Amino acid sequence: MKDLLASLAGWGVNVAIALTALRTNLMRSILTTLGVMIGVFSVILAVAVGNGAQVSVSQQIATLGSNMAIVVPQPDSGSGPPRPNDRGRLTERDGQAILREVSGVSAVAPQIRSSVQIVTPGRSATTQATGATPEYGVVSNVTASEGRFLTQSDVGSAARVAVIGETVANKLFPETSPVGETIRINRVPFTVIGLLESKGSNLGNDNDDQIVVPITTLRQRLLTTATQGPDDVTLIFVGFEDEDALLAGQKEIERLLRDRYRVAKGKINPFTVRTTTEIAETTGEVTQIFQAVLVAIASISLLVGGIGIMNIMLVSVTERTREIGLRMALGAKRSDIRNQFLVEAAVLCVIGGAIGLSLAILAASIFERVAEFPAPIGFDTAIMAVAFSAIIGLVFGGYPAIRASRLSPIEALRSE
Amino acid sequence: MATPLLETHDLVKDYAIGGEIVHAVNNVSLSISRGEFVAIMGASGSGKSTFMNMIGCLDVPTSGTLLLDGIDTKLLDSDALAEIRNRKIGFVFQQFNLLARTSALDNVAVPLIYAGIGYAERRQRAQHKLEAMGLANRLQNTPAKLSGGQQQRVAIARALVTDPLMLLADEPTGALDTQTSLDIMGIFQKLNDDGITVVLVTHEPDIAEFAARRIVFRDGQVIEDAAVKSRRKASAA
Ligand SMILES: Nc1ncnc2c1ncn2[C@@H]1O[C@H](COP(=O)(O)OP(=O)(O)O)[C@@H](O)[C@H]1O
Ligand SMILES: [Mg+2]
Repeated sequence: MKDLLASLAGWGVNVAIALTALRTNLMRSILTTLGVMIGVFSVILAVAVGNGAQVSVSQQIATLGSNMAIVVPQPDSGSGPPRPNDRGRLTERDGQAILREVSGVSAVAPQIRSSVQIVTPGRSATTQATGATPEYGVVSNVTASEGRFLTQSDVGSAARVAVIGETVANKLFPETSPVGETIRINRVPFTVIGLLESKGSNLGNDNDDQIVVPITTLRQRLLTTATQGPDDVTLIFVGFEDEDALLAGQKEIERLLRDRYRVAKGKINPFTVRTTTEIAETTGEVTQIFQAVLVAIASISLLVGGIGIMNIMLVSVTERTREIGLRMALGAKRSDIRNQFLVEAAVLCVIGGAIGLSLAILAASIFERVAEFPAPIGFDTAIMAVAFSAIIGLVFGGYPAIRASRLSPIEALRSE
Repeated sequence: MATPLLETHDLVKDYAIGGEIVHAVNNVSLSISRGEFVAIMGASGSGKSTFMNMIGCLDVPTSGTLLLDGIDTKLLDSDALAEIRNRKIGFVFQQFNLLARTSALDNVAVPLIYAGIGYAERRQRAQHKLEAMGLANRLQNTPAKLSGGQQQRVAIARALVTDPLMLLADEPTGALDTQTSLDIMGIFQKLNDDGITVVLVTHEPDIAEFAARRIVFRDGQVIEDAAVKSRRKASAA
């Protein structure tokens, strides 16, 4: 305990010596600090932007829903290069088969997606329409914040009803509630029965710019191009009870569909089954790579800052060789001299790091406001920044400090 | 008889200059006891400083033995030598060697930092030594605000602050005028009277007369080692 206090006091002395030395060459200290400051600033900002991208992407993925498989009628490029003849098909009956035969499935939501033109007296909007069943609401967490969502009887009767997203509602009914109003979708009159709960926007993708109508209505009234069969769909969402069921279910769906389409052994699947887990993983990897690249680029400036520190510390040691000799004559051990210069470098770096961090926090908050892109700087990032700059100080100050400590007392004292 | 404070046996320091070897100190054997006041004299280049630096553990002999307080310095590592410089030896230099832009008090306290003494005690002990040097009202002055004589007194206070056994002073009056030189010699005499061993390098014969023993170097060797016959007393002067 006493030893600890003494050694802390020893470091305190070194900090005092360092501050005096840095004040003596104030301009030079500021310029040196600037290098570390810019380095830490760019690294922290890179981390923040990378974090932001990860947050955005995972939010975007979360809006899809969870524990869900997505089946699309596109040849699975993952199982080989796609060939033109492999154009796949997917039908509502496939969906029913999946619900019936794959274990752990909680709901199946077949969908048809189509771009539509909506008109009201005096206004119009182009948006994406999803022809869906009530299960769509369950599987991908879509509910109505006003009015109601689709029901089985809407689908059964191919009712001309629509649940519209906030962006669409704002375009068409800027002043009033849209619920109960009549809109014309591709010239067909529909009644708005509900407003979709907002899912915000991520990475420039507006999740509220869409409408949902019964799948039957969309097929009968809104499709402009003919489909191959009477119950073809654009995609199917398959909801699972939990993640384990999802993992097993992906394989089961593939096997079932290969059977149904009589895909010969060795031929690639004319459809693709992706899970939300997979999507989250791949996009997570991509954003991590993105972040790593950003941080790597930013680190170069930190490296340059560190080299600046080393340069200045070498100059400082050379200039103060006589002082080093004197201190040795007065009883300084090699380790005392080494620590003095290490602390001096670390103090320079930590001051630079703290300023760089503050500027990065400021820049990130401006960025968040202007670009509406999250750039979170966590407490851990802040600690990391300061620790990192101290390490830079120790690493790049280390060589000059050790060089100083190895001087012979008399040679140092005689120098000038 | 008690062990001498300092003993050298065949002490040698060689320098290689341009392929030639210069024997800066050449086979010096002598001993200095506690409480002595020794003046080392000799022409410029005779090896006085080289000898002083070795007995002050600032420089390492090429060969020979140096015993300090009975300890063979060859057996000590750099940390132990630093500790000897810190605890047992006080240095006074011709050019004072004070830290610029640092107060007299902080200058005097430097050796105590390396002795591991805490802040409050450092200040108190440094202040005490400065007061003893008649600098009670100069504690916060930086060297630039002090006269040469005052700076040398700060340096002496610094040399004394760890209460060493021995003061080593290489030409301490070399940068001072006559009257100030006499003052400084008075201080050394008083310190010696109080029991501290003083070894002084000078090339001025009248400064050497303040010492009790005179050792004369020529070409790295001792050519004379005798008591000073008519010793000057600063208090009488
Ligand atoms: N670092 C050194 N390198 C080479 N020669 C040196 C060095 N220091 C001293 N000398 C030589 O050693 C001899 C003694 O020098 P020094 O001890 O300084 O003499 P003094 O102090 O008596 O004037 C001189 O010839 C000097 O040139
Ligand atoms: Mg000399």
